[in-house]
Amino acid sequence: MRILLAEDDPMIGVSVRRGLTQDGFTVDWVEDGRAAEVALAERVHDALVLDLGLPRKAGLDVLAAMRRRGDARPVLILTARDAVADRVAGLDAGADDYVVKPFDLGELAARLRALLRRGAGRAEPVISYGSLRFNPSTREVRVGGEVVQLSARELALLEALLARPGAILSRAQLEDKLYGWNDPVESNAVEVHIHALRRKLGTDLIRNVRGVGWMLARRDSAAA
Amino acid sequence: MTSIRYRLLVWLLIGAVVAIAGSAIATYLRARDEANALFDYQLKQMAASLTDAPFAAVPPGSPVIGAGADALVVQIWDRNGVQLFLSQPRRVLPQHAQLGFTTVATDNGEWRVFSTLSEGQVVQVAQPMSARRELAASMALRTVLPLLAALPFLSLIAWITIARGLSPLDRVADAVARRSPTVLEALSETGLPSEVRPLVHALNGLLERLDHALAAQRSFIADAAHELRTPLTAVHLQAQLAERATNDGERSAALSELKGGLERATRLSEQLLALAREEPGVSDRAPVAVDLGATARAVVADLAPLAAAKSIDLGLNETPGVQVRGDVDALTTLVSNLLDNAVRYTPAGGRVDVVIANEDHAALLAVRDSGPGISREDRERVFDRFYRGAAAHAAGAAHGSGLGLAIVKRIAERHAATVELGPGLHGDGLGVTVRFPR
Repeated sequence: MRILLAEDDPMIGVSVRRGLTQDGFTVDWVEDGRAAEVALAERVHDALVLDLGLPRKAGLDVLAAMRRRGDARPVLILTARDAVADRVAGLDAGADDYVVKPFDLGELAARLRALLRRGAGRAEPVISYGSLRFNPSTREVRVGGEVVQLSARELALLEALLARPGAILSRAQLEDKLYGWNDPVESNAVEVHIHALRRKLGTDLIRNVRGVGWMLARRDSAAA
Repeated sequence: MTSIRYRLLVWLLIGAVVAIAGSAIATYLRARDEANALFDYQLKQMAASLTDAPFAAVPPGSPVIGAGADALVVQIWDRNGVQLFLSQPRRVLPQHAQLGFTTVATDNGEWRVFSTLSEGQVVQVAQPMSARRELAASMALRTVLPLLAALPFLSLIAWITIARGLSPLDRVADAVARRSPTVLEALSETGLPSEVRPLVHALNGLLERLDHALAAQRSFIADAAHELRTPLTAVHLQAQLAERATNDGERSAALSELKGGLERATRLSEQLLALAREEPGVSDRAPVAVDLGATARAVVADLAPLAAAKSIDLGLNETPGVQVRGDVDALTTLVSNLLDNAVRYTPAGGRVDVVIANEDHAALLAVRDSGPGISREDRERVFDRFYRGAAAHAAGAAHGSGLGLAIVKRIAERHAATVELGPGLHGDGLGVTVRFPR
């Protein structure tokens, strides 16, 4: 899952990016409101972590403009202001959740997972697909009860495919989920990781549609 | 006893008693004069009537003469000084007689005597002065008694009126008592007597200043708490990352970042303290002569390693012997903050100059850099605490506390110095000029 982090304090930005990356998110970090809007326009991020005290364009304004455009992606506000009025203003402007500084990295990641899960219309925390079980919080994948060890990139690919079962995802779309702005994109990396996933999870799970991209196989065949 | 009511009443009563006594004395004196004139006339008439008729015609104990203590005494002598008649033998009158009116002192007090010579007889009519005094006194008493009787009523009315007149003070005291540090609204000035209004007006002025000072304090504390939360959040996150580290490399990197976060939090709290120390009325150290050049040299030496690390050409251009009077620690902080800002925001390879010089009426300290400068619209606000200009948000700029220039301004104000922002070196950058007037 690719997250956009808008936070003007360098120390907090660095730490949150590192923490969320460790929790399996792909994180892009911007330091002001205008940059956040530019990044949002790319439409590659699954959620926005937004500090309210941003320079150039205030967080609340970014949020309000985003909702006016009909952008419904989950937004979690990050603010030093713990006054109830600020939180109410944030939620009323369209935020889905908030954490008050100082916050816990684990809590931030959990709240983000919850937001993404609700955004995807799932109630249960574990994603099931046929005999495959993926727990986003522990990053654990089981097939038929057996734990399968996957690398971070492989997990990210699987997560992207699981987020939209039945849809064909192009290489560019998958790369967007896999790499942040600062990550060097390896050539053929998607193919390499798909190959590894097939080897570990069974060749039937991921189907290649030549010239278009990849999709998850139908549930019943994945169960085989 | 400093009760206005009590004092007013006492002085009112003293005044009334003095006035009444004065009018009593005046009445007495006037009544005595009138009595003198009247009785003198009566004596004269009596003497005339006695000389008109043979003395035998005046029967002893006649009502005209009377027999009371204040009755007239009539004495008649013949040409040879033989007493022919004495109306009241018990009374002793002088045997000699001066013609006309005389006042004589006898064993029975003072007497008013009228003597006249007629047909070889001396007729002397005398009356005790006490009779006249008693009459005058009784007249005076009649005048004064109603006034004295009115005195208690007067006191009561005064007591009530004063109480009424002073009751707005009670209301004001009540209203002041209901004020608290959180409720400092102005007292009502309507319906107050003109004597009380200036006091209430002055109180309202004080309340307003107090309210402003308290609001400034509250906003400072709120701002400080808010600003402290950011570095503390960073430290909190950095500590969590250190905890999560799975190997020594990650751990030592995380710990080194944590250390940076702690240094920043420490620096902010130091700056907050410095700002609090510059609050008006906090520092009461006596001003001493401070060598501005020596102060600047020490600060430049402190910052030289940082400047060298960024390849910044840091230099001091000093006119020797420039002195100002002030607080040496505060002035060091001022120079240090200006220089720290200059070195912090000037990109690598830039230049920072410190100038110490004498002007006609001022000692001058200037710090000029070749950094990004401060835009015109930011210049007003950079002295606000916690305000960070565009340069402070520029990518890669180390985050300052947002307090440096606010502290500079406070210190300058305390030294009656002016701070001016202008162009820096070679037309760009920032130049901060501080002038200490003499």
